[in-house]
Amino acid sequence: MSTHTSLPVAPARDTRAYARRLALRHPRELTAVLALYALAAGCGLVGPRLLGDLVEDTRDGGGDGGGAIARTALLICVFVIVQALLTHAATYASARLGEKVLAELRERFVGDVLALPLATVERAGAGDLVTRTIRDVEVLAGCVRRAVPATMTALVTIAVTFGALFVVGPLLAFPCLIAVPVLWAAGRWFFGRSREAFLRQSASYARITEGLTETVEGARTVEALRLAPRRAERTDRDIAGSYAAERHTIGLLTVFLPITDTAYVLPVAATLVLGGLFALHGMVSLAAVTAATLYVQQLLGPVDTVLYCLGDLQAGAASLARLRGVHRAPASGAPASGVDASGADASAAAAPRHRGLALRGVRYAYREDRDVLRGIDLEIEPGERLAVVGPSGAGKSTLGRLLAGIHAPRTGSVTVGGVPLAELSPDRLRGQVALVTQETYVFAGTLRENLLIAVPGPGPGPGPGPGVADAELERALDAVGAREWALELGLDARVGAGGAALAPDRVQQLSLARLVLADPHTLVLDEATSLLDPRAARRLERSLAALLEGRTVIAIAHRLHTAHDADRVAVMENGRITELGPHDELVARGGAYAALWESWHGRT
Amino acid sequence: MVAQALVPAAVGKAIDTGIIARDQRALLLWGGAVVVLGVVQATAGILRDRAALTTRLGASYRTAQHIARQAARLGAALPKRVAKGEIVNAGVVDIGRLGDALAETARGSGALVAIAVVAAILLHTSWQLGLVVLLGVPLMVGVVSLLIRPLHRRQQRLREQQAELTGRAVDIVSGLRVLRGIGGEEVFADRYRADSQRVRAAGVAVARVEALLDGAKVLLPGLLTTVVVWLGAHYVATGRMGAGQLVAFYGYAVFLVDPLRRLTNAAGRLTQGHVAARRITAFLALRPEFAPSAVAPAPYQGPAPLTDPASALTVAPGRFTAVACASPADAATLAARLGRYTDSAVTLGDTPLADLPPDEIRRRILVADNADRLFAGPLREELRGRGSDAGPDGRANDAGRGGRGRDAEVGGRGRDAAPGGRGCDVALVGRGSDAALERAVDAACARDIVEALPDGLDDLVEESGRNFSGGQQQRLRLVRALMADPEVLILIEPTSAVDAHTEARIAHGVGELRAGRTTLVFTTSPVVLDRADHVVYVQGAKAVAQGSHGDLLTDVRYRSVVAREETE
Repeated sequence: MSTHTSLPVAPARDTRAYARRLALRHPRELTAVLALYALAAGCGLVGPRLLGDLVEDTRDGGGDGGGAIARTALLICVFVIVQALLTHAATYASARLGEKVLAELRERFVGDVLALPLATVERAGAGDLVTRTIRDVEVLAGCVRRAVPATMTALVTIAVTFGALFVVGPLLAFPCLIAVPVLWAAGRWFFGRSREAFLRQSASYARITEGLTETVEGARTVEALRLAPRRAERTDRDIAGSYAAERHTIGLLTVFLPITDTAYVLPVAATLVLGGLFALHGMVSLAAVTAATLYVQQLLGPVDTVLYCLGDLQAGAASLARLRGVHRAPASGAPASGVDASGADASAAAAPRHRGLALRGVRYAYREDRDVLRGIDLEIEPGERLAVVGPSGAGKSTLGRLLAGIHAPRTGSVTVGGVPLAELSPDRLRGQVALVTQETYVFAGTLRENLLIAVPGPGPGPGPGPGVADAELERALDAVGAREWALELGLDARVGAGGAALAPDRVQQLSLARLVLADPHTLVLDEATSLLDPRAARRLERSLAALLEGRTVIAIAHRLHTAHDADRVAVMENGRITELGPHDELVARGGAYAALWESWHGRT
Repeated sequence: MVAQALVPAAVGKAIDTGIIARDQRALLLWGGAVVVLGVVQATAGILRDRAALTTRLGASYRTAQHIARQAARLGAALPKRVAKGEIVNAGVVDIGRLGDALAETARGSGALVAIAVVAAILLHTSWQLGLVVLLGVPLMVGVVSLLIRPLHRRQQRLREQQAELTGRAVDIVSGLRVLRGIGGEEVFADRYRADSQRVRAAGVAVARVEALLDGAKVLLPGLLTTVVVWLGAHYVATGRMGAGQLVAFYGYAVFLVDPLRRLTNAAGRLTQGHVAARRITAFLALRPEFAPSAVAPAPYQGPAPLTDPASALTVAPGRFTAVACASPADAATLAARLGRYTDSAVTLGDTPLADLPPDEIRRRILVADNADRLFAGPLREELRGRGSDAGPDGRANDAGRGGRGRDAEVGGRGRDAAPGGRGCDVALVGRGSDAALERAVDAACARDIVEALPDGLDDLVEESGRNFSGGQQQRLRLVRALMADPEVLILIEPTSAVDAHTEARIAHGVGELRAGRTTLVFTTSPVVLDRADHVVYVQGAKAVAQGSHGDLLTDVRYRSVVAREETE
């Protein structure tokens, strides 16, 4: 029942294509940003060149010394100012573009999440999605805000600088290439290993956090069961793991950093010495050597930036793949079905003809060759109340999910009005069947917003839902007995995270009120009240009774009195229905149900 | 860093003595010097990083250990003293800051030395020009730092809005089942989009300052170098300085920015580290709620009744007692008193709990409720509750799986190995042994949970047991409580999340397994009450009726609480 399959990750090719499409979606902005960077880098090169001239001039003891020097200095000054302005413009333009792309990315991700098929949501569990929502969006944001522009600037600067080097003296452009093979080899070695090392490192810190969080949140349990030594042991183990990860990383860095740092000095020395030799033999001017040496020094910064950012870019790509993976999540957990959110139009033609549900030869398995349901035949009349009872693991909840259209059967069929449930679009399905579980949720927002989500019909706008009158909401609240406290609190009161906390039974009432508004003709109740304490549960059952009025109800029975009130009772054992009939009949028959009823009823 | 500081000087020398003086040997010599300095710098750099890492990790890890141990030591009192988020934050963010602060001290001092060396070189070469550089660079850094403050403000706003946006997304994801089940996706998508655009605007606002900063970072050093070059050129023209030295000055003006920024950074980190350290020490100074008592308790004399005078509730030793409370709040209050989570006049035998050392109470009386948490790790280990045989020094007894557990299984009962523990003749159902575990799993009706796992008992419990449903977690917690096998086991609504079939089997299984031991269950389930040896009905925090379940059913008040179908 708790089979969690994590969501897929987009393959590298798809991710690359997606990144390319993202980058090229705004060609004008992108071109402008690149041009600005190139111009800024170009201006930055004029300074050293002029300095070179200056050095030459002064050495020659130029006659008009003061004037020439002042002119050159002024020129340098002008270029510095222009470069500053260009840099400013480039940074700003690139950030604007980055923020735009980033907003698109995360909005699209949330859109994909909201379009996930129910079955996928049920199977994946919230953990993985939450991680993607928090961590991957954040990593990607960091990447787009820092690593991408930095790399872009650096690459443009390298290209422009190298071009300038070539212009100053083609001969002088070559010595600096000495560093390329060294950096290439070191980079390949390091980045082949670093990603895993960094992942391991951050995972090890996540474990420390997780361990501490557990100790803190379970502090009472730790004391009650005297687990303090075990918790300390866990901390020590996590720290040892973290230390090993850190040592591994620093070990890699100990090899990598000295090599690159040395590789950075080599071009400077090579240009200086070789250039100097060329100058001594009159092949190039002193000014050219000076400028070239300074250029090469200027190259080092951007090269270092590129190397530094590679890791972040790698991490960003991994996050992008995970975000994009949600887009490709399978439409349905069941092998037989091919429904997805976009299939809504296709199924629009098939409208249920009546309200009766029918299961024929239904088998279902969460895992290959382990059928949880093994051949179920069942017809449910409109307006009927059916209670499903049986021991844990008998397949009751699974049956409920199939009846609610969350999973499609492996073989056989589940139909409403002659149409397979799994082929209905989510919108249409909601008007037919709803699953009511013990899982409830209050969204951060106003009470009104929390109710309005259930209102069907064309687009309730983002504002305070114009389509539905408050009177209707109040009627729904009244039906579940929540009117009094809800109005006292006010429909505009903020609830959920960051708002007023609601007691568990009120939360349940809120979800029931939503169902009143959604108005499906059939309800599947799966242990909807079981986690509440018995007294609250009893209050809630009155609310529930109001909701059930006039609908078909399939109750996965937890407490037996639900079964007593039902029109028919289905006893499930081991994936099959073993007894089926009205309560009195089953008690009279003296089978498994009768035995249980005896025990529950306390032999009065 | 000093080596890095010397590189421009070597380059200048190479130009002056080598190229300009047309001395090939000098050129090669100084070129070589540049390479050597590079290698020295690279080696020193990584050594410094390694040293800094050791300091950082040492500080962080040690502190993390202290925080985790302190959290465990405070136990049930913890939530009353501090916000949970605060401690986790201390254990995650503050330990990092503490480590950083220490590591930065090393880097900061390196920067200080580098600045001193450069200053000396510059002043030695030309004091006028040196002064320009030495005054200009700090001035520049100062101007840039003026921009830093508005940048930080905007970044702070961006972070807050980003956090809000993340909260919104997490809200959507957490409620996704509800949303997909009942609708409202459009509304949420729209709202997220609106928030996302606000974050975008905040991001652009940050970029505006950042762009200014980037421009300034080009402009200010650029202007400074221009001044240096202009003045320097004059000196060179008048022969007071070599052209190579001028190039070196140019290099220094650019170089000095780095160590200066490091220095400011280090100062900031030190302040942050100080604040973090204050928060951590405040947490570490907290004391547990009940200090060990000064009175020497009477020696242990076998199973004893647990009596709470305030509610007139007495739990007879060796029996299965069930308590039905008219109000769930009463159950919580009574359990807290009986387990001494709150101060009370409860006695165990003749000894008031207040006179027993807290650790002994925890060993003899276990209160297990539904708020208890499953911890991540191998299921087998989690259920066994390893580590409860620890000595008073808090060090874990490392007798791993099986080991002494299997020994204890011989004879099954009558053994307490707690070093330094009072000689309680507590019967232990072979604590930790596999056979005992199997028995407990069956008693709690958890066999199907274990069998559904691919690796059975060797499978992993995920964080907060989220890979198990509510009902499954409840049964696993029950297994763990049974395995702890205390002298007195107090369970609060242990079957609230399981169905009637399972409930009946658990009531039977627990009764069987705990035969001859003191067990107290707070419940309103007729199935469990029916199985108990003795039932007490509590109303208004007082025991008002007792007897067997069948006897009590004649009491209308009791009936209205436990026999639910009657009320409808």
